[in-house]
Amino acid sequence: MSARRLDAGRVAYYTLNGAILTFLLLPLAIVAVFALNPTPYISFPPVGVTLRWFEKFFANEDFMRSLWLSLRVAAMVLVLSTVLGAMCALALARGRLPGAGILTAFFMSPLMLPAILTGLALFQVLLLSGVGRPVWGLVMGHTLVAVPYVLRTTLAVLANFDTRVEEAASSLGASPVRVFFEVTLPLIRPGVIAGGIFAFIVSFDQFPISLFLVLPKGETLPVVLFNYMKFDLDGAIAAASMVSIVMALSVVLLLERVIGLKAYVKL
Amino acid sequence: MTRLSRRAALKVAAASAVATLAAPAILHAQVKTVKITTWGGKWGDIMKASVLPAFEKEFKCTVSADQAFPFLPKLQASSKSDPLYDVLHTNSNEQWMAVNEGLVMPKFTPKEVPNIADVYPYAVSDKIVGVSIFTSAIGLGYRTDKGLTPPKSWKDLADRKLDGARGGYLIPVNSLGQAHLMMLGKLYGKGMQDLDAAYKALEQLKPIKMVDFTGQMEKMLLAGEVSMGIIHDSGVLRYEGQNQPVDFAIPSEGVMALEQVLAVTPGSKVKELALAYVDFMLRPDIQKQLSEGVWYSPSNKKVKLDAKYDARLFNTEEKVAKLIQPDWNWYNARKDDIDAKVARLLKG
Repeated sequence: MSARRLDAGRVAYYTLNGAILTFLLLPLAIVAVFALNPTPYISFPPVGVTLRWFEKFFANEDFMRSLWLSLRVAAMVLVLSTVLGAMCALALARGRLPGAGILTAFFMSPLMLPAILTGLALFQVLLLSGVGRPVWGLVMGHTLVAVPYVLRTTLAVLANFDTRVEEAASSLGASPVRVFFEVTLPLIRPGVIAGGIFAFIVSFDQFPISLFLVLPKGETLPVVLFNYMKFDLDGAIAAASMVSIVMALSVVLLLERVIGLKAYVKL
Repeated sequence: MTRLSRRAALKVAAASAVATLAAPAILHAQVKTVKITTWGGKWGDIMKASVLPAFEKEFKCTVSADQAFPFLPKLQASSKSDPLYDVLHTNSNEQWMAVNEGLVMPKFTPKEVPNIADVYPYAVSDKIVGVSIFTSAIGLGYRTDKGLTPPKSWKDLADRKLDGARGGYLIPVNSLGQAHLMMLGKLYGKGMQDLDAAYKALEQLKPIKMVDFTGQMEKMLLAGEVSMGIIHDSGVLRYEGQNQPVDFAIPSEGVMALEQVLAVTPGSKVKELALAYVDFMLRPDIQKQLSEGVWYSPSNKKVKLDAKYDARLFNTEEKVAKLIQPDWNWYNARKDDIDAKVARLLKG
């Protein structure tokens, strides 16, 4: 009886997990089919297999320029938001600041605002201050929405942080700087790195903020894809999506290889 | 011999350094830049490959061409005295919004843009801000392999046989959908401004597959997801010779013009160059190149198109008489109410 109940529970468990996985992965499968299908429109079942859309994507100067820009911007955002987010989190969790709760809400606020409004506001600020639309403005905009991810994941680690480890290091004669680099940083690293990965992906896929901050011939990949879609809705879009997915996966796998993400799963 | 003091030597060195550093900037500053908006796709390819380089070479300037939508909000957000664009290229509905906010100049004189002396009257009519450099015709695209009789009237779109296979647009975001709504008023009511009749007729078109871009409508027609849909002629004619079972029909009631309009911003710092660009785009050779590249009907009467384009595009007085120009100024004034009403009507 108990075994039967267990079997029924197990079946339900696997069915639910299967349904969730299907829900998450089906769009990717459709994109993959579209990217490999020779017809210049979405058709099912596919009529063959071709790499022409990938060739078109990689041969297109606009796509390549924008892909390279998106990668550079995302890399800069990763570094900036990781440093800023981690410092903010440390100050908020450990700095005994008055109104730390309000400050946390303030730093998280870019996530509450529609990103399109943030983009428009930044665009106006940059134009009115006469600096135009430099790449650093774009990096700044992306960083603004990426910092909360690092902040949140680092705060989560700091909430369970045992400060006695730092006290022990200090009592054994380590300087505050040494304590930070040899005790605190290694312990909060999971949160900082997890936030950094989010920051990279948020920047690489960022569309609403980029829409207002990009320059002619200086558009990021999502903006170029959006504009392309208005005129040519062919398989090159799907090929570009596949490339983006592979890139994001590569970053995660690379980090797993270099630093081992399994340790951070508990986050 | 006069000895150079250390202070004087430092001054000379500093001045030289500044001059050296500033030289590229000064040289660069001498080359003026005209900032324009322009479309992407095949149009953008032709512009980047030949039209813009030709303009830059002739006028010894550079062109900064923005292809990233949305153009109007970006122009609105920039300063009127130092606008983000010198020339705004967009469709007529947006040009009317821009002119009403004082963001673009309403008209050109032949002295400013000499080639407007050669354009068809519709290109500078009272329905146009600036000048229309090309137009497409909004009509009906249909599949030729579904046993359909080629549509002769806009009313053919309401044929019940097309239920589940007719295509239209999300009216709040697409000007073809908005133009079609006005056409419904003309077909079923007292005229293009008869919104009550238009709403009633729109409801009769349900079920209808709605998209926000014309590119999506093209693909739905090609994929056979819709058998008939509202589309501009260039969206269908561009597949000519590619063995695709689609064609474009001109309904007997006329087609609506989808104009490509250029207007210059009053605060432009390079107004002469901006006007020269508008004039350049109206030159017969440039018009022919772009017309035949993307199947847009040229505005300049002097353009001689090759036979296959001549047969289909609107390039004679007789043909352009079939173009109906919507009153976008009137429509824009009511857009919010129309959007709300249409959203309620098409819900479910």
